[in-house]
Amino acid sequence: MMKKVGGVILFCLLLLCIQLAAGNGISRPGKPTLTRCRSPEKETFTCWWEPGPEFGLKTTYALYYRKENSEIVYECPDYKTAGVNSCFFSKNDTSIWVNYNITVVATNEYGKTSSDPVDIDVVYIVMPNPPENVTASVMADKDLPFLRVSWEPPKKADTRSGWITLIYEVRIKMENEDNWEEHLAGQQRIFNIFSLRSGGKYHIQVRCKPDHGFWSEWSPSVDVTVPEYLTREKSMWILFVVFLPFVIFIITWLMYLNIHSLKYCLLPPVPGPKIKGFDKHLLKNGKSGDIFSTLMVSDFPPTTSSYENFLEEYLEVYVPEERELIMEGGKDPQDDSLKSENSTCDNDSGRGSCDSHTLLIDKGGGDKEDELQSDQEGGQAETDAKTHEEDLEYENVHSPDISNEKVKSWPSLCSPLPQYSLCLVNQPNPPEMRKHCLSDSMSTPDSLPTYFIQPGSGAKNDFRSNYWESNFNHKPSHPLHTQTTAHEHLLAQSDISTACIDRTGAPSGVHAPSVRPNEYVEVQRVSDENMVLLHPVSSGQENSFTVRRQTEDYSRVRTLNNGNGLLLLQREAVEQETDMCPNEEEAEGRATSTGNTAPVTPASQKSMAGISNALPILDERAASGYVDTATMFGLSTY
Amino acid sequence: GSMKAASICSSDQAGCHFLSLANLFDRVIQHSARMHGISNDLHSEFELYFLPSKNQIGRVNRNCHTSTILTPNGKEYAQRIAREELTEVILKLLVAWRDPLWHFHQNMAQQLTFSHFSSNKSLEMSDMVHELQKGVQKVAEKMQTLGIISNSLGNLGSPKALLASDGAEWRLMNDYDLLYCFRRDSNKIQNYLKILKCRTVPEHGC
Repeated sequence: MMKKVGGVILFCLLLLCIQLAAGNGISRPGKPTLTRCRSPEKETFTCWWEPGPEFGLKTTYALYYRKENSEIVYECPDYKTAGVNSCFFSKNDTSIWVNYNITVVATNEYGKTSSDPVDIDVVYIVMPNPPENVTASVMADKDLPFLRVSWEPPKKADTRSGWITLIYEVRIKMENEDNWEEHLAGQQRIFNIFSLRSGGKYHIQVRCKPDHGFWSEWSPSVDVTVPEYLTREKSMWILFVVFLPFVIFIITWLMYLNIHSLKYCLLPPVPGPKIKGFDKHLLKNGKSGDIFSTLMVSDFPPTTSSYENFLEEYLEVYVPEERELIMEGGKDPQDDSLKSENSTCDNDSGRGSCDSHTLLIDKGGGDKEDELQSDQEGGQAETDAKTHEEDLEYENVHSPDISNEKVKSWPSLCSPLPQYSLCLVNQPNPPEMRKHCLSDSMSTPDSLPTYFIQPGSGAKNDFRSNYWESNFNHKPSHPLHTQTTAHEHLLAQSDISTACIDRTGAPSGVHAPSVRPNEYVEVQRVSDENMVLLHPVSSGQENSFTVRRQTEDYSRVRTLNNGNGLLLLQREAVEQETDMCPNEEEAEGRATSTGNTAPVTPASQKSMAGISNALPILDERAASGYVDTATMFGLSTY
Repeated sequence: GSMKAASICSSDQAGCHFLSLANLFDRVIQHSARMHGISNDLHSEFELYFLPSKNQIGRVNRNCHTSTILTPNGKEYAQRIAREELTEVILKLLVAWRDPLWHFHQNMAQQLTFSHFSSNKSLEMSDMVHELQKGVQKVAEKMQTLGIISNSLGNLGSPKALLASDGAEWRLMNDYDLLYCFRRDSNKIQNYLKILKCRTVPEHGC
């Protein structure tokens, strides 16, 4: 046992001695390692090694290499050119596509140590020098500058002969940024960079690489400053900001101008749920008797003035009956005659009807009554007020002043086109009557065009499509004539109007059919003798009439000229209610009178032509109007 | 695709001819670059999966079957030899690799150890050698027509004359060595073509 312990101690001492000796360099050098070999141009190459621990002893290094398929060992030809611990292979010593087996040996006085061998093929260790002559210049392109970077391949790399093919990469960053923006440039030697910041300062670098090899180092940085410029966006913004106040001002001003119409459009007044005289508290208290007693308003039906406070919109209700009554009372002789004429024209929107109270009575309510009822449901008091108002308005219409009140049964923006109907001619006082009627139409500048069956009116067919002229009065003395011209002027502006035609009574002609109330007459044919043959259309039910009205061409003959003019008003069949203004009484009245009605028979051939021209137009306009002509045959009698 | 020599211009001007020759060269060079790329990929794959032992003695003494063909291994040499010689060297190399690559592909297709991807690549490689040889022949013909090179290349039309000398040395090589050798040879071909182009039509992109 003692021996063993002694042996161990001795062994340890020996180890210690060896280590001490090593520290003092009593051994071979440490193993060196080849770090890398590089060729800058595929013609020469250099290898560097890392020496191992030298232990303080003088150590020399030698590099040996063997070429492929050869046992000859060569030593490095040049230890100096490439610096310390390097070996430089010149062109003569370099063979491409040949495998080199390289070893570095460290030698000191105690021995040699060899590194691990390394196999290289020069083709795959090419790392060129950085590109040279890198320049960056600012180019202007329609106010949007860009950078043009150009460079040259490293001098040593022979690209001209095709020996090396290099590809390049450009990178750019702003002065204060950290991230580079890299762009692959391929084999080209110029690169453009866009999207620069105005006034920015940039750093640019370029590097290159052979098709199979390593990337070179980045070239030294090139600094460039982009000049200030105004981008299109910026200038656009400036323009925008400058003009925005103007635009806002104009819009505000326009809105201000139309504030009222806007208000009506956007915020139509809603009828307040008021029942005049109704007290909610009474209801709470439970005294039913009191509640309903308050509803008994003394001034019912209310007058117009009491309703001025309400902002409700008036509902249009046609109460011809009442109007007729009112008209009957307290009017001048004209009105009296009017009454007898029983042609009341109102300019209710959408209705434009010329109704006679007698007609209404005959209808026994009819559509008008229904309408009246429905309207009344909406607001009883308001309806009445409306009719009152209308009556009042109507009284004022004697002068051919343009009164817009009638027109404005609805707020102007939101109302359908007001339609106007002309009064039909009154027999006894045709001029005045017509004047009256016409003045109605005149009072509305927007009155609908009147249709004139006019002999020789072919030229005038080029007015609006939904209007055709009938020959009117040729006599200049006739007041209607002057007003006709006025009408013609009006026609240009107006859209639709309705005309009521007087129904004639039993015509004296052979073809005279019996005319009943609300009976329509169709133009059957136009005879050679400048006669328009009409035949009555079976009325049937009211509904069928309405239907027919919408589908067939009808136009109302409003006035019958003294001469040979037939004033027709066209109106939209769709919009029409069931108002018709065939006036039975009028027709009969006319039948008795002479020379005033239905001058459809033109005096000349020209008128015939006019009618023939007119009638086709009538046919073309389906559902655009209706001819509600009285039986006009035997016109000569009129 | 085939390396058909499509003439760019219809007229018979001399400049036009050179333009079409330069175009031909570009196409051939592109083709060779692609071929080399594939061989590089396959070689890397092989190294990954079938890393040969570093202790292999014969590693340095690897003998490519094409080592018998004298090829310039430096820029000066490549620029010094005649164009005809350079063209001949290229064609010899291409011809020498046709059969070995075809068999290599056959082996790869049969062995399940290789991925489908690699099998496709080997087929592509094999085809490319074929196409590239035809292309280079066309270039040679064109150059002969233009009088750039003499007509001493006539015998290259028959590849069998070249193959006869080779024998079947390549059959002794293993796959890895085969790939290693072809990788290098494809690089040679590409480089030689580039040098040939810049010696023949230097004004078109050199």
